[in-house]
This record gives sequence, C-alpha cells and structure tokens, in this order.
Amino acid sequence: MIELNNITKKFTLHNQGRTNISVFKNLNLKINPGEIVALTGPSGVGKSSILKMIYGNYVFQSGEIKINNYKIDHKYPRNIIELRKNTIGYVSQFLRVIPRVPTIEIVMEPLLEINLDQEEVRERAEKILLDLNIDKNLWNLSPLTFSGGEQQRVNVARGLIRNYPCLLLDEPTASLDNVNKDIVLNLINEKKDKGSSIIGIFHDESSRKYLNAREIDITKISHGN
Amino acid sequence: MEPILSVQNLNKYYGDQVGCKNMNMTLYPGEVVGVVGESGSGKTTFINSISGNLNPDSGKILINKDNEIINFLEISESLKRLLIRTELAFVHQNPRDGLRLDVSAGGNISERLMSIGQRNYGNIRQTIFKWLDKVEIDKSRVDDFPRTFSGGMLQRLQIAKNLVTSPKIIFMDEPTGGLDVSVQAKILDLLRKLVRELNLSVVIVSHDLAVIRLLADKIIVMKNGEAVESGLCDQVLDDPQHSYTQLLVSSVLQV
Repeated sequence: MIELNNITKKFTLHNQGRTNISVFKNLNLKINPGEIVALTGPSGVGKSSILKMIYGNYVFQSGEIKINNYKIDHKYPRNIIELRKNTIGYVSQFLRVIPRVPTIEIVMEPLLEINLDQEEVRERAEKILLDLNIDKNLWNLSPLTFSGGEQQRVNVARGLIRNYPCLLLDEPTASLDNVNKDIVLNLINEKKDKGSSIIGIFHDESSRKYLNAREIDITKISHGN
Repeated sequence: MEPILSVQNLNKYYGDQVGCKNMNMTLYPGEVVGVVGESGSGKTTFINSISGNLNPDSGKILINKDNEIINFLEISESLKRLLIRTELAFVHQNPRDGLRLDVSAGGNISERLMSIGQRNYGNIRQTIFKWLDKVEIDKSRVDDFPRTFSGGMLQRLQIAKNLVTSPKIIFMDEPTGGLDVSVQAKILDLLRKLVRELNLSVVIVSHDLAVIRLLADKIIVMKNGEAVESGLCDQVLDDPQHSYTQLLVSSVLQV
C-alpha cells in the first residue's frame, strides 16, 4: 500500500533568482494492494515528481508518504535504501547503467542484491528476457548500444524480475511496438494479480484501459501555481 | 543493523587553515558513501582523517569490529596499525602510491597477508591467484613487476592488494581519476561486484558526479571544508536543496 497525505512540494532554485516553483499543495493519494493507478495530465504537471517523491528521489516540504505503513523520512537515508531493496521497484524512463556491463548481469542485479543463488537468478533473468523478446545474442552485450525499445525492455526486465509489494512505472511502454507493449502490459498485470500496489504513467489511453487502471488527473488534485 | 563506522564532529586544521570542519558520517555494512565537492573543498583531508592517514584535531571515529565499538582516535598506535592492515583499506587515486613498484604483482598482494602473520607459501600463493582472478589480471603476470602494467591493471592490482585481508571498510580517493573512460567502466563494474559479494562498506571521494551516482547509496557534498548537504545519493543529485549543490549538479556536462 502506498499513501500520500497532504503533500506539499516546491522547488527553490537558489541560483536562478531564488525562484520558487510550487508543484503540489495538499496532495492526497492512496494505492491499494492489487490496484493500478495511472497518473494523467499534461506534461510538466508533476506526474513524474509524484513517483520520485515516493521513491525518495525528491524531498517534500510537508505531509507524509507511507509505504506499507513505513514513513519516508530523508533524515534516515538508510531506511529509504532498505525500502528500495525490499519493497519498492522502479522502472524509470531511462536506462542508467555502468558501461560495458552485460545485459544479463544488469537484469540479475536486483535478485543478487538479496543474495539469491547465482544459477537460480540467471535462470530467472533468462526467462524474463525471453518473455520480453530480447534476442539471446544480445544478453552478453551492454544495453547502452541497443535500440530505444530494447533498452526500455531491459529496464522493464530489471524492474519486474522481482515481486515488489510496490511498483512505480514511468512510461514503461513509451517506445515499444504494439507486440512488445502488450507483453509488458501483461507482465504488469501479473504483478497486480500477485498483490502489488502499482502507480504509473502511461502515455496512451489504450494501455490504461488494458490495465484497468484507476485514472487520476493530477491537474485536478494538485493546487500548484 | 548497527553502523560499521561513525564519524562525529570531526575537525582537522592546517594551522589556521580549515582542512575539514564539523564533519559527521554514518556508514552501514554494505553501504557506499560518496564524498563530492570541487578541488580544495576538503574531500581528501576528510578521507585521510578518518582512515588513519592524518591525525584529526578533534572529533570521534567509532569503528564497529565484531560488535565491539573501537574509538579509533583513542587506541594505541600499534592497535591502530593492526586495524589499518586488517579491517581498513585505502585505495589511492594513483596506484603507484599504493603499490611497491620494485616488488612483483604477487609480492604486492601477499604483503598484507604476511603482515598479519601468514607464512604458508602454498596458501599465500593460492590466495594471490584467487585475487588476480577476481580483478581479472592474468595469472601468468604474477611474477611481473607492476611497472610493466597498464594504468587500469595497476589500479586493479592495487584493489587486490588492499582487499586480500578481507577488510570491512574501504576508503577510495578518486579510484578512477587518472583512467581513460573505457578502463574506468571496468573498474566501476569490479567495485560494484566486490561491494556486493563481500558486503564491503566504502567511502569514496570523487569529483565525478556520474561515478558517485552509479556507486554510492549516500552522498556528502563538501565546500570550504564543510558538509553543505548530505543524504540519499539520488535525492541530493535529483533534488538538491543547498545552493552550492544545485550549482554543482547543474554544471555537469550532458553527453
């Protein structure tokens, strides 16, 4: 379960005339286990900011965020690190990896972090890469030279190889063709059926409908100006 | 979980000049803390002061060794030396500072082992080969002098030399600083794997925010000898609160 209560978020740009940008006032949001929430609204309205606040990348000025009843508190980074290790998965729009590391190892990493057996992890990574139509010949290459769609699927594989209780998805299907889009959407649905609380940004309406997502228009619930 | 290293109110002055001032840090097992800031901000003074290379003027350094808290600045010099050889390791920016260039690669790796009393030639040789393999240096190079190695190989040898006694806390000062980018990527990958496999705790100094982003869990931003901002690495880089951090993050060139 993910809960945001009375969140206020603003950016203060010290080096640009101390400009204050207010993004949210009194933002409330709740995502139940086994539910998918899709954030909608024009770009720049703060959809990604919500995901980043939940994942701990962005601070907020007041209110509280609870993940499975655990409060996000930036005074204790250790707790956020633990939450990320065990509870929250995040599929970002962009692949950020160490150059020259093979795809298969990048996908295996979230499971190796929790000390599972190498061979078992490798099998699971191979399975999800096969499911996502990543050609076997690419597994031992770094994904940095892959096409946009392939990179995105590697990102999805890494984010979905584990069954996190909470999942944050930032445009996970943006650069995919229809076949691969359906594959990713089905994987997301599987996670929902396993009880994950899922919140995401999906640019096309058909994806949101396919996922049977509860749509929330951010422009209507935030009061930034 | 208890921190393995805790630094409290640490100060180091060079005469009237501030080296680093009022520094605090908590490092947990398996965690990587990055220290960033421009040249002259006190990064290297800080890492040298907490690793036994420099004597700080005041403050506390607490090391957790098998659930016993050791007050690093108040123990005897001999115990300090022993800790530095067993529990701690320091990887220099220039591998030539951390290696003996007139001793073979194998000899460099075995030095720490022998300093803690290992004498069995067969065992030592086996450990050397295990570590050459871990850092991807061909076994056939074991008797070669480091001066015949490339920059990237030297850095990997320095890492092997330091990690051979299974230290728990590793200090690194710009470990990829002088390396070209293709070699840098390989070292970063190696460091990440070692941190995970051996559950190492690392303090790493770098002026390269991209390196810190890929390696560190937490970050300390220094300016004029003081920490201006610290916290979760992603948060400080994505949503910096202090004006200096904002300047630093927004000054990075995009490729």
